[in-house]
Amino acid sequence: MSLINEDEALIAAALNGSAYAWEKLVKRYEGKIYNQGLRLTGNASDAMDLMQEVFLGVYRNLHRFRGDAKFSSWIFRIAHNKAVDMKRRKRLMSAQPRSSDQDAGDDFDNIASEASYEPEVRLDEVQQNSQIVTMLKMLPMEQRLIVELKTFQSLTFEEIADMQDISVNTAKTRFYTALKKLKSASEEDHVLS
Amino acid sequence: MSCPKTQFLLQEYFSDDLAPLAREELGKHLANCEYCNAELESLLLTQSTLRHWQDQRVPHWDRGLNLFRREHRAPAAGAGLWVGWQWLPTAASFAMLAVLLFNLTIVSGEHGFSISFGPAADLQAQLTTFQQLQREEMQSLVTRVEDRQDNSNVQLLQAVLEQTQQSTAENLDRIYAYFEQKRIQDLQDMRVGYQQLVDSDYETIRSLNQLAQFVSYQSEIR
Ligand SMILES: [Zn+2]
Repeated sequence: MSLINEDEALIAAALNGSAYAWEKLVKRYEGKIYNQGLRLTGNASDAMDLMQEVFLGVYRNLHRFRGDAKFSSWIFRIAHNKAVDMKRRKRLMSAQPRSSDQDAGDDFDNIASEASYEPEVRLDEVQQNSQIVTMLKMLPMEQRLIVELKTFQSLTFEEIADMQDISVNTAKTRFYTALKKLKSASEEDHVLS
Repeated sequence: MSCPKTQFLLQEYFSDDLAPLAREELGKHLANCEYCNAELESLLLTQSTLRHWQDQRVPHWDRGLNLFRREHRAPAAGAGLWVGWQWLPTAASFAMLAVLLFNLTIVSGEHGFSISFGPAADLQAQLTTFQQLQREEMQSLVTRVEDRQDNSNVQLLQAVLEQTQQSTAENLDRIYAYFEQKRIQDLQDMRVGYQQLVDSDYETIRSLNQLAQFVSYQSEIR
């Protein structure tokens, strides 16, 4: 069974009420979405929030998924939109106390209860990851997103332009600018260390 | 030490649809321009640094299973009979009618056999009365079902009209939620109705079935 077909079979079963199929579907993508979240938000707790929002969105819209697009493209589009939303929300709420962004996801159960998970420690576990996150954090969100889509998701500029509702040329320029900025950042880093 | 073409050329370098001719031009320029060459090298290095990302394990979470189970419990809780119907409340109402029609066919089936049957007069009268009752019951059921369908259709239409005045994705979600809520409610109503029907008619259906079996058994013997 091909990957796409298996996705579709799982979706159909989940829509028919199979919790097992839903869990399998989530398991197939949670790793990618979580790691994408780490790169975009720069910390494990936001990545976790983002991932939960993405899957809540997937859950709420699963009936709307039609087989004409790949499920993976569909889920990454949702992830992209949620990341943009989250950034916007954070900006709006940055003046308010931090506790208020806890109740963002409407009903996925809070994972914070899991005592073993310690955000900063987890990210530092992999040394080069924290270096990458430090680099990415220098970029404004729209550039960070484009680097994510191009470098990690290997989308074409056409797909990126479509997703971000910009022209292909803007997408290219944005990517180049972002890469240049990352380059100078890492060079500076090199000189310092 | 700079080159006016750098941005344009390197931007093109990373694009996915660079024509062969353009790529050739680019190659030529890079071979001759130290600045662009160095710039490209370091951009590629940066990209490869990014690609050294090592996927990290997802912390434990419930994967939305609690929500999933909570929302799927209502339709799934019914006995096996309902499982196949949970997405088809309309089919369920047809099935209800079918049960009644089934009774009717048995009854009219009896009609044909009754001639060769011993205590014809008694049975005939009984069956005619029963048939009459069934007809009335079905009529009222049909009316009830039609009424309810009409009502919910009107409500749905109103909801849709109200909502589409500002048709944002959020509103679509709300419409969907409404539909979904409606569907589950319909299903529950129908289940109750069906159960009542089955309960009240169970005895008659059973005795009729026995009768039908007996009759066909008798006719097979002859
Ligand atoms: Zn040059």
